Amino acid sequence: MMTPRERVKAVIDFKKPDVLPWIESFFDETLVKWFREGLPADKVTVIEWVITSGGLTLLNWPAVLGFDPYSYFGCQNMHGCCAPLDVGPIPRFKRRVIGESERYVDLITETGAIVRRLKRGDYKWYNMPMFLNFPVKDKKTWEEYRKRLNPEDPRRYPKDWDKDAYVEVFDNYQAGITVLAFTGFYGFGAQLMGIENFNILYYKDRELLQDMVKHWEYFTIETIRDMTETLKDKVDMVYLWEDMADKHGPCISPKIFKEVFLPHYKNVTSFLKKNKIDRVLVDCDGNISPILDLFAEAGITGLWPLEVNSGMNAIDLKKKYGSKFFLIGNLDKRALAKGGEAMKQEIDSKVPILKELGGYIPGVDHLVHVEFTYEKFKEYSEYLKKQLS
Amino acid sequence: MAKEESEESNEKLLQDISRTLSSLENSKRISRLVNEAIDRKIPITEIIEKGLRSGIERVGTLYEKGEYFLSELLFSSSLMNESMELLIPHLKGEKSQKEGKIVLGTVRGDIHDIGKNIFKMFAQSSGFEVYDLGVDVEPAMFIEKLNNTRAEILGLSALLTTTSYEMKTVIDTLTQEGIRNKVKVLIGGNAVNKEFAEEVGADAAARDAVDGVELCKRWVKRDDDS
Repeated sequence: MMTPRERVKAVIDFKKPDVLPWIESFFDETLVKWFREGLPADKVTVIEWVITSGGLTLLNWPAVLGFDPYSYFGCQNMHGCCAPLDVGPIPRFKRRVIGESERYVDLITETGAIVRRLKRGDYKWYNMPMFLNFPVKDKKTWEEYRKRLNPEDPRRYPKDWDKDAYVEVFDNYQAGITVLAFTGFYGFGAQLMGIENFNILYYKDRELLQDMVKHWEYFTIETIRDMTETLKDKVDMVYLWEDMADKHGPCISPKIFKEVFLPHYKNVTSFLKKNKIDRVLVDCDGNISPILDLFAEAGITGLWPLEVNSGMNAIDLKKKYGSKFFLIGNLDKRALAKGGEAMKQEIDSKVPILKELGGYIPGVDHLVHVEFTYEKFKEYSEYLKKQLS
Repeated sequence: MAKEESEESNEKLLQDISRTLSSLENSKRISRLVNEAIDRKIPITEIIEKGLRSGIERVGTLYEKGEYFLSELLFSSSLMNESMELLIPHLKGEKSQKEGKIVLGTVRGDIHDIGKNIFKMFAQSSGFEVYDLGVDVEPAMFIEKLNNTRAEILGLSALLTTTSYEMKTVIDTLTQEGIRNKVKVLIGGNAVNKEFAEEVGADAAARDAVDGVELCKRWVKRDDDS
């Protein structure tokens, strides 16, 4: 019998697993809602003996580290065992409240953006914040920000970075796949400048855009270098966050992607390949169809979440691209959340065909959102699991 | 003859403005052309209609055809805005022809504004007068603004399925206030589609900003025709 890790590795290598794996990601707020609806907290809450922050440094103490709904439902976590690198700004911006009213709170985030959040409401964390200001606006502010993106900073690696020990951990892990995660070239720019400003940078200041993506390539490769050269193919998959599309299509044109982003993508994926890591998944919502040929050329080999509402269809993609991409997700969140016949129809119309075509792992076409009731998710999980073996 | 030549030359200049805008050439060139049109005393409304808006319409067509993407949509709107800043001081008595009025906002409980702002930019560039109420808007505020402006269209935005149902609350309030049949309701956002529009009683769901503006144009035109 294969382990959960072997199953996922088989699928992303276009081989047959003994049982098709199933991958999900959950909004924490969905789980909090499910606790109210009957999800047994003691079955999913992770408590470990740790040195608590701000506590006595010579005393281990049990603390809640988070939730593990994956084992409970029988699915796998997209990130499995993730390489503990810090690829954010160092030093972080000090997170603090800068304004508050009865309804909103304005704060500076750790990436330096100023955001507004609702103070009340059922799902205040599930809702994206309103961005009021971004840290990078022009060449001058970029030069300032760049200082926080220094790959040589020793704080990027864990305090216990011991190569042999990490190789052993990554080698032995079997509960899911091992992952190296970082942000893509568009995701990085949009985070620092905002979608609107970063999108028109090609037309307004191409030199700045080129400089930013060039630095991001350097930063990415140099930050992951030691980890990558140490772990090599003990890393099963690279996870690249790159939300660069909406329902209409990619936010930037294939022409801009090819001219500005593609060469840098290729350099990063070549570096990974040299280290025997050749499975690179892009996390991109929306309709990415117009840009898939370029993704393939860039060295991208996997896609998630393939949102149905944006016109993505895994069966069509399999037929067109074959084994160029392994696919994860694409089960319509709206149909699944309805449950009953709508849910069954969504699974029946896709999973058996895609299982046969290979290179596909089922899952909701985005994070499991708060509209799912606990009962409907249980119904979905039980029905899907019957289709996997 | 001289007058005919001058008219022909003006026509060419307006076409050049339109082409420069739709081909997304740099803002210096379009500013130069717009200033030249002002110097030639071409009526400002003509510069807007035959030059700029014609260019924006072409951008919309290319976007719908999949040749342009969000970057191009945003940049063309920024070129349009820069050009309008040059023209506004010269408008004086001339009234730029407006396509229609839109009251716009993100519904209560949702503070997501990116999609709304993109729609607003493109709607303004296409000639609509947009009253943007911002985010997290109470139903009563939509009603008040619609009554004050006599806008023909209400644009409602929401990112999430949870907050999308607030659109129904707003539409129900329009009905209660007796103005539902006076406004067309357009909804937009990641979670909305045609079926959802029917479910909440909206007139249409916009696929994207360009599709939304096209729907608004059709509605306003139909009102004018009737």
